[in-house]
This record gives sequence, structure tokens and C-alpha cells, in this order.
Amino acid sequence: MRALCWEGVGKLAVRDVPEPTIRADRDIVVKVRASSVCGSDLHLINGYLPAMREGDILGHEFMGEVVETGPGVQRLKVGDRVVVGSVVACGGCWYCRTEQYSLCDNSNPQPVMAEKLWGHSPAGILGYSHAAGGYSGSHAEYIRVPFGDVGAFKVPDGVPDDAVVFASDAMPTGWMGADFCDLKGGEVVAVWGAGGVGQMAARAAQLLGAERVIVIDRLPERLGTASERLGVETINYAETDVLEALREMTAGRGPDACIEAVGMESHDVGPIYAYDKAKQTARMQTDRPTSVRQAIMAARKGGTVSIVGVYGGLVDKFPLGAAMNKALVLRMGQMHAQRYIPMLLDRIAAGEIDPGYLATHPMSLEDGARGYEIFEKKEDGCLRTVLHPQAA
Amino acid sequence: MTSNGTRWALTGAATVTALGVGRVVARRRRRHQPEREGGWYVVNRGITVDRPVDAVIGFWTDRERLDRALAEWATLEQLADNRWRCVARDPAGGGTEWRAEITVDGPRRLSWRVTDGPAQEGHVELVPAPQDRGTEIRAELRWRSGPVRRALGLTTGSDPDLGLRDALRRIKSLIECGQMIDTRRDPSGRSPAQEKATDKVREKLMSGGRA
Ligand SMILES: NC(=O)c1ccc[n+]([C@@H]2O[C@H](COP(=O)([O-])OP(=O)(O)OC[C@H]3O[C@@H](n4cnc5c(N)ncnc54)[C@H](O)[C@@H]3O)[C@@H](O)[C@H]2O)c1
Ligand SMILES: [Zn+2]
Ligand SMILES: [Zn+2]
Repeated sequence: MRALCWEGVGKLAVRDVPEPTIRADRDIVVKVRASSVCGSDLHLINGYLPAMREGDILGHEFMGEVVETGPGVQRLKVGDRVVVGSVVACGGCWYCRTEQYSLCDNSNPQPVMAEKLWGHSPAGILGYSHAAGGYSGSHAEYIRVPFGDVGAFKVPDGVPDDAVVFASDAMPTGWMGADFCDLKGGEVVAVWGAGGVGQMAARAAQLLGAERVIVIDRLPERLGTASERLGVETINYAETDVLEALREMTAGRGPDACIEAVGMESHDVGPIYAYDKAKQTARMQTDRPTSVRQAIMAARKGGTVSIVGVYGGLVDKFPLGAAMNKALVLRMGQMHAQRYIPMLLDRIAAGEIDPGYLATHPMSLEDGARGYEIFEKKEDGCLRTVLHPQAA
Repeated sequence: MTSNGTRWALTGAATVTALGVGRVVARRRRRHQPEREGGWYVVNRGITVDRPVDAVIGFWTDRERLDRALAEWATLEQLADNRWRCVARDPAGGGTEWRAEITVDGPRRLSWRVTDGPAQEGHVELVPAPQDRGTEIRAELRWRSGPVRRALGLTTGSDPDLGLRDALRRIKSLIECGQMIDTRRDPSGRSPAQEKATDKVREKLMSGGRA
């Protein structure tokens, strides 16, 4: 089959690779119909997260059709149209039992690097390097999904592939970012990053009761889309002093909750510094946490900072004093896909969220490398490139 | 031996079996020197399984399930009440045979001694974990470096530790989700040579994990 593979820092190519097969009782094989790019892939492609190997198949946000099921699969059958959460979860450990799926104990068979870097290993993630389990990704005609009953969900008829695909990752991530804010109704929520994740976080905050949502980015098209589609307010950080603007917009209080949906490649920062042991082990570079710093400075006293942008290692100049003295609540994590997907599918079907507008650039798998380039450079108003491996 | 005792002994046998495999897989890894006590290396490791103690013991009731679970790594044979033979499959081909004597010391504690193979003994204890967190499996492993091991350059002896941690992780995974995830041989665009190099990386990332 054809698959989009990583070939080294910044290099992608479509190659012929063997087809996946059922390897364990609870596996399913999915014929991929739509597979989206994600901001997280950029961290991998650019070498900021360690442990990519030449030939690894990328992609973790996808949907498709079940074409094979292992004998232990009960909830799904061949022919089902499904969306699959990016995070692999076993369904049987304490973390899965308590719906903290991205912390599953049993889904990363290669936990040693994560344990060295972070003390413990979180769950494996499909198509997300050898530190996250070494799973093949979804930018391919077919993909093996372990624990199919736990990770794959039947999608409602009538919702297009290119909309429902975002229930795999961008939507649950955004939802979790807003969920972390414990909104009671009437809050002001600021969201850093107007990518797919930030947009979905903004929508989730509205649905969970925020009265005002303010989205921060530097890309006018993305900010424009957010205000048109979601009716949010926006701040362009390239033109405006964000802290000043937020203080002023909230009559001095600061936002009740700040959601960071940017991640380690946060733009407009100084040099990348070395750090010792973790870096040696991981050949990893330091994260750039500009937007996290800003979120902490902006949040009102006693407010919440919710981080869903991905960080991998150590950060410099973390304003711990601001967080401590303002008594902030800090929440963060990889998203618990399986916890949110069924609810999100209901909301898509009910028309409460329409994520389809994120799919600005549908493309064939063969054009994958170009698709990532457009996405990374945010050319042509690109929010997300969605690859179609079954298209000619 | 009560039937609960037999089941329980099977847990031990599975640990020993899994250990054999861990040892083979991990044999070239080196870490800091473990504690030594009267000529024996000693390590203690534990893991938490999200099931009540009875379920952890009960998991091994089903001999067929156990054999299926272990199939990829080893075969297990009961020779007598407390004597077991296991042949661990060596990924490099061939196998390593062990004979072990397993003694049930109490309702939640058993010990084993390898009778034919490298000098090794250990015990496992099951302790209810606090806060509805299931069962803590606590294991102690002791081994000596015999002349053969010395000749093979295994004298630093940290490998049984890695093996023990692998074994505990494997047992936890089998009980909690019925399998041990394996992503080796998943599709990729690698040439056979690149795949081989990647397997080395995988082995490093798999072997030893925290337990
Ligand atoms: N927690 C999870 O489980 C999870 C899941 C998916 C994605 N993510 C992460 O979420 C983040 C966003 O993903 P995405 O797909 O939307 O990425 P994206 O690249 O499409 O969007 C990131 C946006 O952040 C903006 N930005 C950069 N620097 C900024 C700054 N200083 N202030 C405000 N905005 C800034 C960029 O202009 C861009 O629009 C990434 O880090 C990704 O890894 C996390
Ligand atoms: Zn993602
Ligand atoms: Zn789990």
C-alpha cells in the first residue's frame, strides 16, 4: 500500500509499504478515508520530539472503514464507518477505568525514553514516534488499530468524512482544554492559537458556558475564520500587546481561564538552549513556551491556565512566581480521546459543532508532503490539510 | 496443594518463565551494580495491577489462557506438585530451559528457586493496594554469577533486574488487557537494514521499563 513516511528532519515522501494485518485478538484494521495533518506532526517532522526513525508512517487524526476485526472485537464489525482516537488505550488499567485514557499503563510498549524524560510513560499514540510506542500512522491506505473496541467509534450517517475526522483529535483536544477550565457559566476565556485545536477549544468554551471567548494568534486569516465561524473576539499578537489588551478587555481583571493551544514551537522566541541528561538521551531540543508564559501572566488571580499545546521537555523562564502568587490552577495533558468522542459525535450530529470548516485543503495522499508544507507555512488560509488515501 | 495454591503457583511459574525471556532479551544491558548480600545480588521491584488480589491469583486458573498468553515467549510444564519446567524462546533462535521449584509460603506469598539453570531465587508477594488501586505485586530476585555467566561477561549481573521489570510489566498487561502490545513489524517504509537498526532502538526502549 502507499503511505506517507518521515525520511529525516523536514523530509517526507510517499512510499510503498506492506499492509497491516491483525496481530492480536482485539485489533482492527481500518481502511483510511480521511487523515488530517495536526500541529503535533510539525513537532515530529521538525525533530523537536525525539525518536522518529526513517520510514515511520505519520498521521494520527483519521477516520475510515473497518475492513478486518480480530476475534476479540465485539462492538465493531466489518463495514462500520468509524473515527479513531489518536491515543491508544487498553480499556483495562486504572487510568482507562477512570477515563484518563491518555495515561493508559499498557499501550506504550516502548516506555523507557518517556520514563527517563518524564518519570513515567503516558499512553502510546498512533503515528507518533518511537517514544510513543512506535505505532504506524494513518497517512496510509490501511492502519492497524489495537484495542479497536476502545479506540474506534461508529460515526453518524450523513456527517461528511472531512468533518467527522476532527473528532479524532482536534475536537477532543479543544474540548479537554475547555473542560479543564471548570466553567460555571459567564466566564471570560482567552485561547492562544487559532489552529484547529484552538478553534475547537474556543467553540467548546462557548458550549460549556463562557460568555466571552477571545482568540489570540498572528495570522489574520485564522483570526478572521474564528470570528466569522464562532463569533469570538480576537487579538493579533503581532500588532497588539496581548497582556495590555486582555487587561483592558476585562476591565482590569484578566481572563478567568486561559487555554494554551500553541505548543512547543510557539512563535517569536529567542535561542534554543541545551540541557543535560534528557537531551543526551533524547537528542531533543528545548521547548519554546512564549504563549504559556503569557497565559500565566494574563490569567486573573485565582484563575485557570489550561495547556493542551504539546511540550516535550524543559522550559526556561517559567513564571512560577506569577502562578504561585496569583494562586492559579494549572491543568494540562494529552487529550483523553475516548472520553470525549461519543459526546462530540452527538454534538456534531446535533449541529452544535461543525468542524468541517477546518478541512481547508483536501488532498490525495500522494500530495502529502506538499500538504504539510502548506499547513506548516499556513499558506493560502490553510487550517488543516486532510489527506485521502483512497483517492486516485 | 490447594487449588488456589496451584493457581498461585502458576503466577510464580509465569513470572519465572517471563523472567527467562527477559533475561535473554536484555542480556547486553548494563546498569548500576545492584545490592549484594552474602554473595547474592538482590533487587526488589513492584508493580500495581488494577485488580483485586483474588482476581490476580484467579487469572491463572485457566491453564489454556496462560499457555496462550505465554505462547510467544515460552512453554510451561508442571513436572510435579511444586516443580516446573519452562523453555523460554530466545528471539535469536533456540531456547533457554529452566527448571524451578515453586513453594507456596502463604496465601499471598510464594518463592521459587531455579534448580537447573543459573543460580537464581526469588519471592513474590501480593499486597492489596490502597485506594481501590488493585494489587501490588512485589518481587524480590536474588542471583549469583556462576563461572558460565562470568565467561559470558554477565558478571555485572544487572540483566536479571531488567528481566524482572519486563516480567512484571508483562504480567500486569496480560491481566489488565489480555495482551502485551507489540509494534515491531508494523508497516513502515524502511529497508530491511533500516528495520534492523530500528529494532535495536526498539529493544532499548522496551527493555527494562519501570516496574
Ligand atoms: N494535548 C493534546 O492531546 C494535543 C492534541 C492535538 C494537538 N495538540 C497540540 O496543540 C497545539 C496546536 O495544534 P494545531 O493543530 O492547532 O496547530 P497549528 O500549528 O495549526 O496552530 C498553532 C497556532 O498557534 C499560533 N501561534 C504560534 N505562536 C503563538 C503565540 N506566541 N501566541 C498565540 N498563538 C501563537 C500559530 O500562528 C498557529 O496558528 C500543538 O502544539 C499540538 O501539538 C495537543
Ligand atoms: Zn494531533
Ligand atoms: Zn489502559
